[in-house]
Amino acid sequence: MRTVYKVLAWLVALGVVVQAAAIVYAIAGLGIWVDRDGGVLDKAAFESEEELFPEIVGFIVHGMNGTMVIPALALILLIVSFFAKIPGGIMWAGLVLLTVVVQVFLGIFGHEAAIWGGLHGINALILFSLAVYAGLRVRNMQRQAETVGPIEHERV
Amino acid sequence: MRRHLRAILACLATAAIVVPLGWLWWSSLMPDEYSVMDMGYVDLGGGVQPAAGTDHGEGQAGHDGHVDISTLVAEDDGPADVQLDLTAREETFTLASGREVSGYTLNGSSPGPTLRAVEGEVVEVRLTNENIPEGITLHWHGIDVPNAMDGVAGVTQDSVLEGETFTYRYVAEQVGTYWYHSHQVSHEQVRRGLFGAVVVEPAGGVRSTSGEGDVLDVEAMVHQYGGARTVNGQEGDIAVPAEPGRVVRVRVTNTDNGPMTIWVSGAPYKVVAVDGHEVNGPDEVEDMALVVTAGGRSDLEIVVPEVGARVELAGNAIVLGPEGSSPAAEDAPVEFVDMLSYGEKGSGDLDPAQADRRFEYVIGRAPGFLKGRPGLWWTINGHRWPDVPMYTVEAGDVVTMRIANESGEVHPMHLHGHHAWVMSRNGEDATGSPWWVDSLNVRDGETYEIAFVADNPGLWMDHCHNLPHAAEGLVAHLMYAGYTTPFMVGGDHDNEPE
Repeated sequence: MRTVYKVLAWLVALGVVVQAAAIVYAIAGLGIWVDRDGGVLDKAAFESEEELFPEIVGFIVHGMNGTMVIPALALILLIVSFFAKIPGGIMWAGLVLLTVVVQVFLGIFGHEAAIWGGLHGINALILFSLAVYAGLRVRNMQRQAETVGPIEHERV
Repeated sequence: MRRHLRAILACLATAAIVVPLGWLWWSSLMPDEYSVMDMGYVDLGGGVQPAAGTDHGEGQAGHDGHVDISTLVAEDDGPADVQLDLTAREETFTLASGREVSGYTLNGSSPGPTLRAVEGEVVEVRLTNENIPEGITLHWHGIDVPNAMDGVAGVTQDSVLEGETFTYRYVAEQVGTYWYHSHQVSHEQVRRGLFGAVVVEPAGGVRSTSGEGDVLDVEAMVHQYGGARTVNGQEGDIAVPAEPGRVVRVRVTNTDNGPMTIWVSGAPYKVVAVDGHEVNGPDEVEDMALVVTAGGRSDLEIVVPEVGARVELAGNAIVLGPEGSSPAAEDAPVEFVDMLSYGEKGSGDLDPAQADRRFEYVIGRAPGFLKGRPGLWWTINGHRWPDVPMYTVEAGDVVTMRIANESGEVHPMHLHGHHAWVMSRNGEDATGSPWWVDSLNVRDGETYEIAFVADNPGLWMDHCHNLPHAAEGLVAHLMYAGYTTPFMVGGDHDNEPE
């Protein structure tokens, strides 16, 4: 269970990495499409559901990963934490989930006021750090347990 | 013991998360077949309870005293003045621009053939589905046809399956620019080409605002195929030869899912009609842009200057002028024509102060499940689809509707079967020409008040014409008390109007 917890926490962190890469990839592609190909972006183009430029896949990945995959991972992390018997494990999993929820809403509100988008970028770093730390502390516990011995391990 | 307690607590905590989520998911699933009449809740708009009662919640037809909407057809059953056979196919085809796309055609092309009629003529269109497995329909966008001819799968008819034919018939009473498009899986089928133009000319022919009869009539159907922007299937600069001094009427139709900005380079222009309704006393404007919302139409009048002029249509342009002329393209103007104050105030034939019903259509967003999918979905008056209002009226009612957009995104709102008069925006009264719409661009943060007469009985959609938004639940219905539909969403015909 502890290993599952650790892997899930790091998967959340990996998800954040994918998010950062995907959104910049898409925006770079958009810039190239407008600059080099004279593409016209307006609401009608935005809503066309068409592949205006290949990098548009970055927006789709960011949207799906951010609203479905990462929230699902964070939710499963919290559920696993109930069973994993990690001191402070529930609290850290809860913090990760809370940060994910905040992140989703900041992403959505970014469509109404850009400042929320700015905070979405900052909160991404917080989420990444939390998820990495949540996994790291379990790894450290596991390593300690190994050095202390199997009997201690059972008791923790 | 402690171990057991701990395991039980862990299970309880898991259940506390999983059970509510599961219940929300399960309760958002829709049956395989349902009537839109069963959706949501009755909204009487503060008016009296209709004597005929409402059929809401009782499902399919067959109630004593209720009129089956499939009987609401054109009264004229003589020979048609304009007859058009349309065959729909799914295929790879070549646009007028030479680009090859995979999609849907009508009689081998997209856009399909333009239907031209003269005011008062009886129009008959036989639609045959050759090979489109999902089925198709045709909706007459902006034409207030009898309800059974409205072409909404699962609401006013069954989708026309492969090998089947359906005949649409109506009297072309409204002069102006309209369009037809599929209303079965519309967010897919319109995008992939199932649409065409409808032009209804006045009995005396198309005339300019100064009364001249020799008007060059140009259609401009703007559409994106596979991300490529086109005008009547063409791309780039589209030359339309016209001698200097000639009056041209350009009928711009936005068939896409978002509003577009248009303007004219090299000449002033007048907005002579919006959504098929003539503008009263249109002013000549220069260096001003105009928004044409999704599904909306705007007719521009331009007098061709010596060197020609360009109608800029989001990346493409119609170039009017003598053969070989190449007028310079101008940048998008900063100022916009505002239809709220454009043109001369006319006499309104509708008195909103006497409204029988006052409806609210407040668009918001809320997280939750829609048909089993988690996400942030549209709400109408705080309710998520399918728990949306059923705006219920009686024939003859004067109705007002306050449309407020609090959703963070623009919505082109489209009411079927009626034209509505725009009374105000954000509390500011309309001062220009009477502004009648069937497709209204409601930006985030805006509130419009519109009014209409309930003079076309039946069951009508009132939805966002950003068609994926309709599929995401931004759909309500206007229902006349005493009427009922035998058609179901889903079922044998896989009816899926959005």
